[in-house]
Amino acid sequence: MTGAANRRQQKTWSMFGDVRRRPTPYEVVTGRFHYHFRRDPVPFEMDPEWSLNQWYLAHREGSPFQVDDWEGFRDPAKLTYRDYVALQHDREIYLDALVDRYEGNGTAATPRSGQANPGQAAPGRPGPGWVDTLRTLFVPLRFPLHVLQMVGLYVGQMAPSSYITNCAHFQAADEMRRIQRIAYWTRVLADAHGDDLARTATARRAWEDGPAWQPLRQTLEHLLIAYDWGEAFTGLNLVVKPAVDTLVNEMFGQLAEANGDRFLAELCTEFARDARRSQDWTQALTGYAIERRPELAGVLDDWVTTWRPRADEGVEGLAELFTTAPRPLAADVTARVREVHDEFLVGTSI
Amino acid sequence: MPRLARSEWYDLTRDMNWSLSYVKEEEVWPAELSNGFGLPAEAWWVWDEPYKVTYPEYVHNQYGKDAGVYAVNAVIGRSKVYEQLDPGWKSAIIAHYGVIAIPEYLASLAESRMGRFGRAAAWRNMATFGTLDEMRHGQIQTYFPYGLLAKEPRADWAHKALHTNEWGALAARSLFDDMFTANDAVSTAVQLTFTFETGFTNLQFLGMAADAMKVGDVDFGALISSIQTDEARHSQQGEPTIKLLVEHGRKDVAQQLVDHMFWRSWRLFALLTGLSMDYYTPLEHRGHSFKEFMREWICKQFLDQFRDFGLEKPWYWDEHFLPELDWYHHALQLGIWYWRPTVWWNPDAGVAPEEREWLEEKYPGWHDTFGGHWDVIDRFLGGQIQPPTMEGALAWMGLSPDEMGRDATDYAWAQAAPHDRSAARG
Repeated sequence: MTGAANRRQQKTWSMFGDVRRRPTPYEVVTGRFHYHFRRDPVPFEMDPEWSLNQWYLAHREGSPFQVDDWEGFRDPAKLTYRDYVALQHDREIYLDALVDRYEGNGTAATPRSGQANPGQAAPGRPGPGWVDTLRTLFVPLRFPLHVLQMVGLYVGQMAPSSYITNCAHFQAADEMRRIQRIAYWTRVLADAHGDDLARTATARRAWEDGPAWQPLRQTLEHLLIAYDWGEAFTGLNLVVKPAVDTLVNEMFGQLAEANGDRFLAELCTEFARDARRSQDWTQALTGYAIERRPELAGVLDDWVTTWRPRADEGVEGLAELFTTAPRPLAADVTARVREVHDEFLVGTSI
Repeated sequence: MPRLARSEWYDLTRDMNWSLSYVKEEEVWPAELSNGFGLPAEAWWVWDEPYKVTYPEYVHNQYGKDAGVYAVNAVIGRSKVYEQLDPGWKSAIIAHYGVIAIPEYLASLAESRMGRFGRAAAWRNMATFGTLDEMRHGQIQTYFPYGLLAKEPRADWAHKALHTNEWGALAARSLFDDMFTANDAVSTAVQLTFTFETGFTNLQFLGMAADAMKVGDVDFGALISSIQTDEARHSQQGEPTIKLLVEHGRKDVAQQLVDHMFWRSWRLFALLTGLSMDYYTPLEHRGHSFKEFMREWICKQFLDQFRDFGLEKPWYWDEHFLPELDWYHHALQLGIWYWRPTVWWNPDAGVAPEEREWLEEKYPGWHDTFGGHWDVIDRFLGGQIQPPTMEGALAWMGLSPDEMGRDATDYAWAQAAPHDRSAARG
């Protein structure tokens, strides 16, 4: 029953059309998986009035962030699932070893009594002043980072191409990775310095009521309801996440280093690898879109203009906590975050 | 390895629930994406997943699993194993890939919807792993058939089916969009993860993996059993969701969601697995009939789970569902074989004399009900009807072209009918 046309040896998926170049294994398992994008008359095989059909029509098909064809976009890291777990398997082995090393040398433990200058850290050991900073600045971080995870998943489920969806989904998983390492170390700190560090209330209270956390919480709660997919992508990947990533991975890492906490400094350096991957695909996607429709630079810029002050306020709020560390940074945290952010935005082609 | 056991720190990875201050709950969890069914926001915070896993454990495990499965595929791909498989079994897997591969990937959207709109941080984490799992299943189940393209052009349907209007693909789209791609997070947990994954696919995958090994399809067997280990984990999002609904007096909601999706899943399952087990799998490799499989695995296990939650069996169970186990997929088999040009696999009639004996033994009365239909086809194939075409059959029946029935009004009704769905509704 096989027809003559079918007997001709097929080189790749027919949905890819008449391609000149042989698709890569990454493309074979990524391209054209979203049958529902711009499907006529509605995305899903349900009543046209069904809420989710209307939601996707309004927030995805109806977004001002559109090009004719999103299927030409490629993740610069070209990650398949298999590559992603292989990559992070390696990186987690590295982190397991890092934890081993610092657990072994008692980094988290309280300095022995009688130590000179107890407010400051002995090499490799946090002093009580630093533990206070960890309590107020480090321990609550899992709350805002969890919001980044949530919004990343929203961007993924709304993206018009599976090439974009997968990038966003890996990014969300990376947020969970970061949160879990923070959670682990929080427990280690609590074992050394008091169980209250590991109580939910310690983190939640700061997140819900701590004045330093409120600007960021306000920004993130609003980001949760930025439902236009283009705006969600821009608000998260161009504005809020790069700012938070610099604040946590770079500035907090430096603060840890300055206060003798080598473990957290190295942990933050590791987190920055994931952040860099997020920034790479973000810049690739904005470049891809603007190359096809230069006027999209204005669309993205409007969203950046809306979200930038909100992100900056969030950073300013937390920057205050940096000054209370036993050895504060000489650099102005807010200014440095802004500077790094500006550099990143230059690479987005806006 | 890090010194702390998972249990010592795990709760700190899943306690990120807070009260909103700057936006409203119904804005962050709008009903169309996350129907809370009236439970207070904080009631969801105690949502507790039965299966715990951390990110490091996840990537370590999954890395090993993927390495194993892709290694099997690389070896088998260079061999003649596929060519030597029974034709009926090949049909079963080509049908499977078309209906399942892309929908598994789409389930990653359902998981990310739960990862965003699930109502507890612990749930959102489980769904984040689920998002990755389903991406894995979509990718692995397209990668394998892609490797078959040179040998089997129809493997293209693993990628293409959901983009088409082929009727089986349309049925799959209708079911899966209803179940998860276009469903809210809470209903998805009950309908996709509890009803479909726990109820059907977990068991189906175990059954298919065993059958694959029996027929010598090591590739497919390795694939399916590896996928099943992920399903066993992420399917557990349904249970705590149902528990909370029941605890807060919304047993009616849980019951209705299960009733609805069990029925729809059964209909697709009968098509895919019913035909595969009772007709496409070579007789010598059949362990049990589809009905036996359904009764022993799906019906018994699933009913036990319903009852554990205080739910009742669906209202249609005794009167409609159980009787269908005797006939529904046999009717589908006839229909699909008759209309075989409309499917992307080669339907295997599976009614040689010894197969009929087996069917009669497993389904007493099969011969009287269904065997007769196949006898008519036998008359065609045996040369009693000449030519063996529609025209030949009409002549055999004694109908001349002038006598054959035609539409009484020459389709006048169709000219007047609205074609547009929205006009029809209006």
